[in-house]
Amino acid sequence: MLEAINLTKRYEDGELALDGLTFKVEPGEIFCMFGANGAGKTTTINLLLGFIPPTSGSALIEGVDVAKDPLGAKRHVSFVSENVMLYGNFTAIQNLDYFSKLAGKRNLAKKDYAEVLDRVGLQKEAFDRRVKNFSKGMRQKLGIAIAVVKDAPNVLLDEPTSGLDPQSGREFLEILVQMRDKGKSVFMSTHDIFRAKLIADRIGFMRKGKLVMMKTVQDLAHEDLTDLYIQYMEEQPAQAAAPSGI
Amino acid sequence: MLRDIIRKEILDNITSPKFVFTFLLCTILILLSVYTGVTNYRAEKKEYTASLALNKKNMEAQPNYNSLAGIGIKVSKPPQVLGTVVTGIEEAVGRVAPVNIAADPDLIESKYGSNPVFAVFGALDLMFIVKIVLSLFAILFTYDAIVGEKEKGTLKLALSNDLPRDRLILGKAIGGYISLLLPLLIPLLLSLIFLIVMPDISLGGQDWGRLLLIFLMFFLYLSVFFSLGLFVSARTSRSSTSFLVLLFAWVVIVMVIPKAAVITAAQARPIPSVHEITAKKDAYLQQIQVEGQKSVRDWVTKNQADAAKDPKAWQDKFRQYLQDYQQELTNKIDQNNAALERDYQQKKRAQQNLAVNLSRISPASALTFGSMTLARTGVDEYDRFLASVRAYKPIYTKWINSKLGQSINFQTGEQAKISLDDMPQHVYEQEWLSRSFVRAVPDFVLLAVLIIAFFVGAYVSFLRYDVR
Repeated sequence: MLEAINLTKRYEDGELALDGLTFKVEPGEIFCMFGANGAGKTTTINLLLGFIPPTSGSALIEGVDVAKDPLGAKRHVSFVSENVMLYGNFTAIQNLDYFSKLAGKRNLAKKDYAEVLDRVGLQKEAFDRRVKNFSKGMRQKLGIAIAVVKDAPNVLLDEPTSGLDPQSGREFLEILVQMRDKGKSVFMSTHDIFRAKLIADRIGFMRKGKLVMMKTVQDLAHEDLTDLYIQYMEEQPAQAAAPSGI
Repeated sequence: MLRDIIRKEILDNITSPKFVFTFLLCTILILLSVYTGVTNYRAEKKEYTASLALNKKNMEAQPNYNSLAGIGIKVSKPPQVLGTVVTGIEEAVGRVAPVNIAADPDLIESKYGSNPVFAVFGALDLMFIVKIVLSLFAILFTYDAIVGEKEKGTLKLALSNDLPRDRLILGKAIGGYISLLLPLLIPLLLSLIFLIVMPDISLGGQDWGRLLLIFLMFFLYLSVFFSLGLFVSARTSRSSTSFLVLLFAWVVIVMVIPKAAVITAAQARPIPSVHEITAKKDAYLQQIQVEGQKSVRDWVTKNQADAAKDPKAWQDKFRQYLQDYQQELTNKIDQNNAALERDYQQKKRAQQNLAVNLSRISPASALTFGSMTLARTGVDEYDRFLASVRAYKPIYTKWINSKLGQSINFQTGEQAKISLDDMPQHVYEQEWLSRSFVRAVPDFVLLAVLIIAFFVGAYVSFLRYDVR
């Protein structure tokens, strides 16, 4: 389970990047967070990964406070970033092997890696190819394979579908659904409302470091997500002083 | 986990084009430099042997001691076998020191003097390759060690695991260093084999010790740039910035500081020019010669009456007088020259020490001085050799003066044929390894301190590094 409790981050230059953010991602749930650039989505992920300390509040992973025990907390989380280049001179399997070992998975064989890569939709002939020749979609698949191998109960994704072609995007979503079905808590920051609409259980909108709206997929059943997105991104509604739906 | 990081770092480096490029270039340059060093050494050794034989032959060919005294003796400086890897100042300073009654010995006939074009490009020895080329490679291997991973996103991905940062930086440092050493070790080993199999190269036990210490110094020097690269990489947020900062630091360390130190020392501790000293010596010599001629004339005038009484006794007396007086004049010249030289050397040493100490801030200077000390091709070795020749000069002049006095037959005017059998020989004892090592210790310490300082800087910076 992923949890943010009144999480606030003010940078040294005085900029308030996150302002009292509170949310929880339950096991078996996909939570998609929307927001314009600079809204605080990536800051939230950085706080959850312990890359920056919070000014106040707490970020918890499986109940472990990230600020107090960052290594203990990170044991329970996988991370997929927007545009990871990985090690270009390594093959897909070599990259996977290295990051698996960093994640503590030491007993995996080449066939195990091949199986995961196959599952994420990477073509077989690419397994032993150098990653520097990979397209963005192929690298993203490898990125998700790294997260799959770690098999942590929580998954953080930072705009993972940006730049993916429709086919890769669809395959990517299928893997996320599989993860959810396995009971993992999935937090995804994204601009991709169309893909998010297909898989999200809950959706949140962030604006200037605040969570201004959060709704379940059932609440959104009769609403147009695109209209909502535009509405929340362009102007903060007067009624959203407290996030609606929370 | 540390082993995995080291392994990854090595694998990532050795599969990169920069490794292939470095390996090829290192192999070519190192082997070329050692080959050039060996070729030069063999030529110098041949020249040295020929010079000794020629000098002896030339001396033996003199008709009498008077003409022998005129040409004097030429003391040749033996080439150093480790000049094959560290040429030092061997080619810039002279290889021969003429010793005669009048002049103060100095080393002349340098390689650069006989062919100035060598001075334009300098020596392509192993120390030069390490100092200039390989230090750049060390930067090339580390400038993006941390910041490059940040740019690729792999740092964030790696640290999203329960991976302690200290382990990551340690693994990267060890793996990166091994990767840097790999393209060096193979050509260096080949060079050693080359040195062993070459027929004219004989390395004694001390030479091997010296060679190992020189190689250790090379590795320490490269480690300084390696840890500096890590440090800068952990302090910057773009690899292009890191590269520029390191390039600037390299220029300052390798090019600016050593030259600036010499210029500063020359300004702060000026010394009289060599011409000034030579002019003073020449003036005194002229004065002595005038005095000498007058004294001899006075002695003959004063003792003229005795010549008529007993010519044989007079001749013996005159011979003894000439011998004693010649020695007295030689002593006077030597004392004057020694005093001038002492003063000059004192000032030169003060300037030299200031330049050396100032430039030692730079690891490039520490490498230069340390490796030259160990290879016995530095300024100290030159000074020691010259001092030994200067110490030999009074011994030689005493011998030649005694021969001059004894060999003149005033009745016939004939002079005795020369014999070099009892001529005292110049003896030069090479510095022991232990002594050289003690003198090189400050350079080792300085390099070690810089490595530790930069590595600690990199370590601490990385613990606080913003991976976003």
